[in-house]
Amino acid sequence: MVKLRINNRDIEAEKGMTLLEAAARGGIEIPTMCYNSDAGHFASCMVCVVKEKNSSSLIPSCSALASDGMEITTDDQEIQEARKTAIELLLSEHVGDCEAPCRIACPANMDIPLMNRFLAEGNADKALEVVMKDIAMPSVLGRICPAPCEGACHRKGIDDPVSICVLKRFAGDHGNIEVKQEPSKEGRVAVIGAGIAGLSAVWYLQVKGFSCTLYDSNPLPGGALRYEIGEKVLAREVLDRETGFILGSGVEYHPGTRVDKARFDKIVKEYDAVVVATGNFTGETGEWGLANTGKQVTVDKNSYQTSIPNVFAIGNVNRSTRLAIRSAAQGKEVAFSIQQFLAGSGPSGEHKPFNSRLGRLREAEYPVYMNGVSSAKRVEPADKESVGFTAAEAALEAERCMHCECLKPAGCILRSMAYRFGASQRRFSLEERRSVKKTTDHGIVVFEPGKCIRCGICVRLAAKYNERPGLTYIGRGYDVEIAVPFDENIKDAIKKAGSILAEACPTGAIALREGENGNSRANDDHMS
Amino acid sequence: METQLSRIQADIDEITALSGKDKSAVIPVLQAIQDRYNYLPREALKRVCDTTSITPAEITGVASFYTRFRFEPAGKHIVKVCTGTACHVKGAMLVHDAMAREMKLAPGRSTDDKRLFTLEKVACLGCCTLAPVVQIDDTTYGHVSANLSAGVLKDFLSRDGKEKKKKGIILPGGELQGEIRVGLGSCCVASGSSDIKDAVEASVTRDRINVNIKQVGCVGMCHQVPLLEVVTGNGGTEQSRLYAKVSPADVNSIMRSHFSPPGILTRIRNGITRIAESIQTDDDWEGIERYSIDVREKHVASFLGNQIPIATEHRGVLDPLDLDDYIDRGGFGGLKRALDMEPAAVIDELIESGLRGRGGAGFPTGKKWQIAASQQGDDKVLICNGDEGDPGAFMDRMLLESYPFRVIEGMVIAAKAVGTSEGIFYIRAEYPLAVKRVRKAIEMCMAKGLLGDNILDSDFSFNIRIKEGAGAFVCGEETALIESIEGKRGFPRIRPPFPAEKGLWGKPTLINNTETFAMVPYILDQGGKKFATIGTPESRGTKVFALAGKIRRGGLIEVPMGITIREIVEDIGGGISGDKLFKAVQIGGPSGGCVPHYLSDTPVDFESLTGAGAMMGSGGLVVLDSGDCMVDMARYFLSFTQSESCGKCTFCRVGTRRMLNILDRLCSGKAKSGELDELERLAHQVKAGSLCGLGKTAPNPVLSTIRYFRDEYEAHLEGRCPTGKCADLITYYIDDECIGCTICAQKCPVDAIEFRPHEKHEIDKQECTKCDICREACPTGAVKVK
Repeated sequence: MVKLRINNRDIEAEKGMTLLEAAARGGIEIPTMCYNSDAGHFASCMVCVVKEKNSSSLIPSCSALASDGMEITTDDQEIQEARKTAIELLLSEHVGDCEAPCRIACPANMDIPLMNRFLAEGNADKALEVVMKDIAMPSVLGRICPAPCEGACHRKGIDDPVSICVLKRFAGDHGNIEVKQEPSKEGRVAVIGAGIAGLSAVWYLQVKGFSCTLYDSNPLPGGALRYEIGEKVLAREVLDRETGFILGSGVEYHPGTRVDKARFDKIVKEYDAVVVATGNFTGETGEWGLANTGKQVTVDKNSYQTSIPNVFAIGNVNRSTRLAIRSAAQGKEVAFSIQQFLAGSGPSGEHKPFNSRLGRLREAEYPVYMNGVSSAKRVEPADKESVGFTAAEAALEAERCMHCECLKPAGCILRSMAYRFGASQRRFSLEERRSVKKTTDHGIVVFEPGKCIRCGICVRLAAKYNERPGLTYIGRGYDVEIAVPFDENIKDAIKKAGSILAEACPTGAIALREGENGNSRANDDHMS
Repeated sequence: METQLSRIQADIDEITALSGKDKSAVIPVLQAIQDRYNYLPREALKRVCDTTSITPAEITGVASFYTRFRFEPAGKHIVKVCTGTACHVKGAMLVHDAMAREMKLAPGRSTDDKRLFTLEKVACLGCCTLAPVVQIDDTTYGHVSANLSAGVLKDFLSRDGKEKKKKGIILPGGELQGEIRVGLGSCCVASGSSDIKDAVEASVTRDRINVNIKQVGCVGMCHQVPLLEVVTGNGGTEQSRLYAKVSPADVNSIMRSHFSPPGILTRIRNGITRIAESIQTDDDWEGIERYSIDVREKHVASFLGNQIPIATEHRGVLDPLDLDDYIDRGGFGGLKRALDMEPAAVIDELIESGLRGRGGAGFPTGKKWQIAASQQGDDKVLICNGDEGDPGAFMDRMLLESYPFRVIEGMVIAAKAVGTSEGIFYIRAEYPLAVKRVRKAIEMCMAKGLLGDNILDSDFSFNIRIKEGAGAFVCGEETALIESIEGKRGFPRIRPPFPAEKGLWGKPTLINNTETFAMVPYILDQGGKKFATIGTPESRGTKVFALAGKIRRGGLIEVPMGITIREIVEDIGGGISGDKLFKAVQIGGPSGGCVPHYLSDTPVDFESLTGAGAMMGSGGLVVLDSGDCMVDMARYFLSFTQSESCGKCTFCRVGTRRMLNILDRLCSGKAKSGELDELERLAHQVKAGSLCGLGKTAPNPVLSTIRYFRDEYEAHLEGRCPTGKCADLITYYIDDECIGCTICAQKCPVDAIEFRPHEKHEIDKQECTKCDICREACPTGAVKVK
């Protein structure tokens, strides 16, 4: 038995235990990235550093052994900063996008690559399901969105961006989804304004089981979509279909109802939460008693909460951008904050994951990205105005998507640690990044050395599972790489332990072809 | 093709039969393969994997870790440009670039198309006083410059193939007339002392002089090499005269001035001070003053006077491989005493001496021995760490080359004290002469019963074998060294457990630095108490330093701890050479720091140096003058450690690289405000967060220069290099001193100077690559830098 103190608590550990294990025994969590019990500890990433009080030195808890009389601190400012710096150093050489750049550019953070995957398979229903997770009115936006996503599309450098917006329109026009509303929950929400922001908020609240009441001064729903956008751009039957779909969700709808100061005060009192989505800031909104700048209502930028705690403001009323997709996105996001608010916690808004960004693709990298991807030119719909893509055109166009997203967006520990420690990828962006490399000819895994943190777990596991030639370190120092000995192909190097390695790899450097949910693009040429 | 393959297979089978087939043999096997093919052919490596227990992952992982191994065939000749500290401050990179240009190397390649030359950088050739140094195969060229690079290659090729025939030496009988001592330390050899020895032998043979020709180890006066000492007379009437910077052409005159060859008139000249006028000179060493020197002369007296030789005892008189000579002078006296003592008493003697490890960190040696001795069982290992890799330090090499018996004696004493019978010499790959001498010395000790079974008829047995390193600075770190001996990549292990408890193959392992072992015989022979009278209370005894840089008298010195930096620089080193001002000393190499001139009264001991932001380190001491850029110095050291990082932990692997990025940006004027603060912040974090000593000390050169020379960093932020060292921040121009001689235009490798006889020349700034050749070549000093 070894007796030590961790965070001023007496801990008893077995002889030979690491500090990490000893701390876990006392219920103290220490973050780790490169620790793997199967592969054995190695001390590489240094995220698990703790401080030994006597020497006040930082030591990796994953491999430092607990010894008698030790005094350990696992969490002070210096430790936090060291961990953050370690992560930032790793991020500075991390070559890859966590999410496809189109998705990052989309204000609603819509999972575009996944939509594309389903469209390429001809599955418009699944595609629509993906779209509707983030965008409540896809057919409408498919006609009016300026498509910032396409501006960010990596394919843009090679020929033309994937026609994401029209694909989304196709999903909206041709997909059918069954809405599964959650059982109704406590909490009544009033939404003022039936434009795209208000309607979106209603939709995502209703789906989650919150009953909403929608007030709108206009006789018909849609706000600016109906009263400012011409019919030629946005056919009214499309608008009617999608507003109708949302209004059919059980919301109590009060069209033609002007909300003045008195009614507003009443609503604020009567409802547990209120969403102000009234469009451009006006003198009247200014009188409602919400803190404002004279041009816009002041809100918390993450939760959209106003100076009145149960009132939230979204859309052009808090900043006039005239960007429908942004208003739609805020409708979705405010639904989330209101759920937090109604659950009694301070609303903090949706979790915004860390995103590693690759930046512009280099010409030399085009082949890596185009591997297994349709090289056809961007498809222009034969009848763009009234029809959009046909099913065949949509599939063809969706196949042009290069699927820039990481195969392990959720399981990547580097990403979650970067989020946890608020790390910045830019802090150490001091030299040209390395080139993207992907080895895709292994049946089970995809190997992307640019995402490797050199922890060597895969090297040790490959040896443990008797893979031959297996994997090894090549070179040393900054330039050390994990590779197959003698430049052989990874498909010959790893025959048995592929999925074990993918599971153990702390980043997306070794990931399953099929991705985390079994529906990645790497499966393209193997799926049938 | 098939026959070639089967030949390779046969070769490999032969190699593995000799070097071993288990995993720990991987490095010796790779070394043998490279010795045979001059690189590592893939088929050869595959054969190893097919026929031994070494796996493909292991062999490629290990081979690619150590820089000595090559995966592509090298050129016929290997050109090594020393980029050690002393060479760096004297323009080694300009030499390297000039060599690359002369060899017409394609960008990114190190071997020319015809495979005649392969260009390599080497961390330190240990000839700091001859900086900048270039070694081509076995020939060393000193004081090379960019301008001379073409000539060096030409000279080498003109000599190549014309092997000098050794003449037989016929010595006449009769009374010995005296002794000729020729220095054969690495500096001496590099400066041509073997040619001197040949010339002496030729002269002796021709003139039938009966003298004893003796090769002696390093004298330490490397600034005067090659050295030749003539001792005349016998017994009490010995007279000694030392000749410095001798050329082979001088030898005859020197010999004839001392010894009378039969039949030739005696030509002894008494009281020779300068003989330069009387001898024919050749062009090899043109411009170098030749003179004889005397220990009574002031500068020699002050060079040697402040030194106390313990590790280097009998320097200049001891033949490195003359065991009898060593024994006659008291060698192995310490061991004899130790064999009669209880192990605990030996350790007590060490503790009383106050000796601390000379490898850099200064852990008390006696305490280390005590821990190792207290481990259960007798299955322990003792390792002598001779993996000196610090650019600008070559003490260990000098000790191994010049005093192999002393180091062996120290090891045997230690083995007796901690109770082990297995010893390993781990010697850096770049030290072939040291390996050769130590191997020979071990054989001689075995033959004399000083090693092996029942040493000196006691019941104590101890064997030593040699393991050669393969080119990785990090293997100087004791746990990485152990990994390397086990045949793995040199990844350090986390401590504790310390090697003394659990080291090589999990056995208790005592590792001491070469210099530490070299101190031990004295302590046992003379007593720990006597040793403790030297030095300071916390740092006892002496320390060997490699003194180099912008100093008048460089070399290897052994000084008492506590001596001030000023005493070393001014008294021993004779102050700054040239007309610039003393600026700082860099102590401790890549782990150490720069101490500014105004702190020259800092005593040289472990604590004081650490307090001043430097470190004892392994003992490199480079003097810098007002022309040296401190940001460039920091960048130089960091680029060294960065390239030597093993790559295991994030802080060292990526952190040192990012620090280097910032330093590169500073030196090229690209850094933005805020980056200096970021550099400092990151430096502290790398220091705190790195796993082993390499990363923990790598930021020291940066932090100490920021501490004392922040204004220089700030100037770089503004795009200025105050000393005019940073190529991207300076321009070359020609002023009115120009006489229109066209030399610069002829020499310019990129045609940036138009050929205009009798007119003032101009440098095209767009074309200029700042190679410095024109400035060096200009006879009137008209090429200036601003």
